[in-house]
Amino acid sequence: MPQEEMEAAGSAGEKRDQETLESVRSVVFKPSISLEEKRFTKVAGYDFNQGLDLLGLLDSLSGTGFQASNLGDAIEIVNQMIDWRLSHQSPTEYCGEEVRNPAYRESVGCKIFLGFTSNLVSSGIREIIRFLVQHRMVEVLVTTAGGIEEDLIKCLAPTYRGDFSLPGASLRSKGLNRIGNLLVPNDNYCKFEDWIMPILDQMLTEQTLEQNVIWTPSKVIARLGKEINDENSYLYWAYKNGVSVYCPALTDGSLGDMLYCHSVRNPGLLIDIVQDIRAMNGEAIHVDQRKTGIIILGGGLPKHHICNANMFRNGADYAVYINTAQEFDGSDSGAQPDEAISWGKIKGSAKTTKVHCDASIAFPLLVAATFAKKFHKKANTNTVC
Amino acid sequence: MLVAASPTTGSLIVFPDLAAIFPLLVVDFRSLLEVKHSSRDHVEIGSGDIIPEGNMSDEEHHFESKADAGASKTFPQQAGTIRKNGYIVIKGRACKVVEVSTSKTGKHGHAKCHFVAIDIFNAKKLEDIVPSSHNCDVPHVNRTDYQLIDISEDGFISLLTDNGSTKDDLRLPTDETLLAQIKDGFAEGKDLVVTVMSAMGEEQICALKDVGPK
Repeated sequence: MPQEEMEAAGSAGEKRDQETLESVRSVVFKPSISLEEKRFTKVAGYDFNQGLDLLGLLDSLSGTGFQASNLGDAIEIVNQMIDWRLSHQSPTEYCGEEVRNPAYRESVGCKIFLGFTSNLVSSGIREIIRFLVQHRMVEVLVTTAGGIEEDLIKCLAPTYRGDFSLPGASLRSKGLNRIGNLLVPNDNYCKFEDWIMPILDQMLTEQTLEQNVIWTPSKVIARLGKEINDENSYLYWAYKNGVSVYCPALTDGSLGDMLYCHSVRNPGLLIDIVQDIRAMNGEAIHVDQRKTGIIILGGGLPKHHICNANMFRNGADYAVYINTAQEFDGSDSGAQPDEAISWGKIKGSAKTTKVHCDASIAFPLLVAATFAKKFHKKANTNTVC
Repeated sequence: MLVAASPTTGSLIVFPDLAAIFPLLVVDFRSLLEVKHSSRDHVEIGSGDIIPEGNMSDEEHHFESKADAGASKTFPQQAGTIRKNGYIVIKGRACKVVEVSTSKTGKHGHAKCHFVAIDIFNAKKLEDIVPSSHNCDVPHVNRTDYQLIDISEDGFISLLTDNGSTKDDLRLPTDETLLAQIKDGFAEGKDLVVTVMSAMGEEQICALKDVGPK
């Protein structure tokens, strides 16, 4: 009878629906494994009800997610760089008596390399770098030519805020040079020229007539740091504290223009880059038992130069990259730490991270949570009577 | 005023106009030859002086010896105004400008003029970069024509000046074509007039003309 058929069909349809629902449910609501809280951090951001607490905010970064978490990891890694001591590992079989001495081992720390591109020196990051060099918190700097001259020029005349959208032709007619959303007047470079030419003459005299000095980029930079004699300059502090600054491409900036013009009128100044590569690679090789850590802001020459030097000791032990470059085009600037591991520039066992962020935001926060925190904690404990 | 060379002693004898009043002045040949000739015809000697000095009674003439660092060798000119085919002093050499390029004020500092110039005496290429607001030295370059009298064995040339005296301190030019022209022309007995270019205390023959009958 039709009605019975319909009833049978109805119950069959219901059963089909049930089966469909069950299979969908098993896909959508697939049971998950439980995440062990030891290995997986819960996500939680900073609670501003706690007040305006810088260190609290910085501590919360790890749990915030995305690049904030990467920055939190970077902070953790840099703190490890700062805290590591030779006493943390047991002496090797072959080391001598002096090296076994616990007090000595306690005094030996990690050697930190800091690399940065020149636009950061044009920006206010220059003050952050100056703080680190002033207190000898880093031992080796690598930068590009602009990273040298912009620091010196700022002691002669300031850089100003501008805007990315300012039209180039209009700026040129007004004698203003744009670096991102910063402006450097031509006049600043004229002042730099007037300042540096007599120094180059003097350096040429020292090379040819007086002391037979062989100039290298790092020696030139130390000399310029000595001549600028201004506490606002990180190069001045680098000269004073014996922090080596390497810049193999010293001619690729206003410094190069000055060297060119100087050499036409007064030729003969020689700058030896071979001696400097000996020194730079030596910085990584002659560390004996020490560990090395690298902090690199931006890409380009500074990034590669530091990584390459560390290859000579089979890789750095800690690495933090802060840059906005991407790896899809195979560039070295965009390459993540794991690519450097394949070259032996970073150890396979190293603690590494890359923060995909503009260093002008990330670096002050990084330094606040690491170097500056330790510095002021030490200062506070020193003042407690 | 009469100036004549004594054939016997080789010294120059000067007869001033008022012979009765001024004594006969016998002047050393060589010291007179050290003076720079301008385009004026004759030389005047002040009263009472045996050897002519720099300060003359007549202001229009300058007697300068080679040892005198005269200010009139060059004059200053702003670098930005020196053009192609002008003259400029680079590293103490008088040069003719073959190329000028300017770059505006910028990362390299002040606006600059880049000169490429050829040394007018030895044809070497020299370069200089000068801020365009700075002054450069521009040499006084003079050209004078003399008639060719003789070529000596050791390469010196004897020239007849306009006032009848001879100029014997110039060497043959180093430029090969010019050298060949002079030697050949002289050997054939042609009447030759040479143009002597002088600047910065240096002189050299720079051109040759055949003024003889065709």
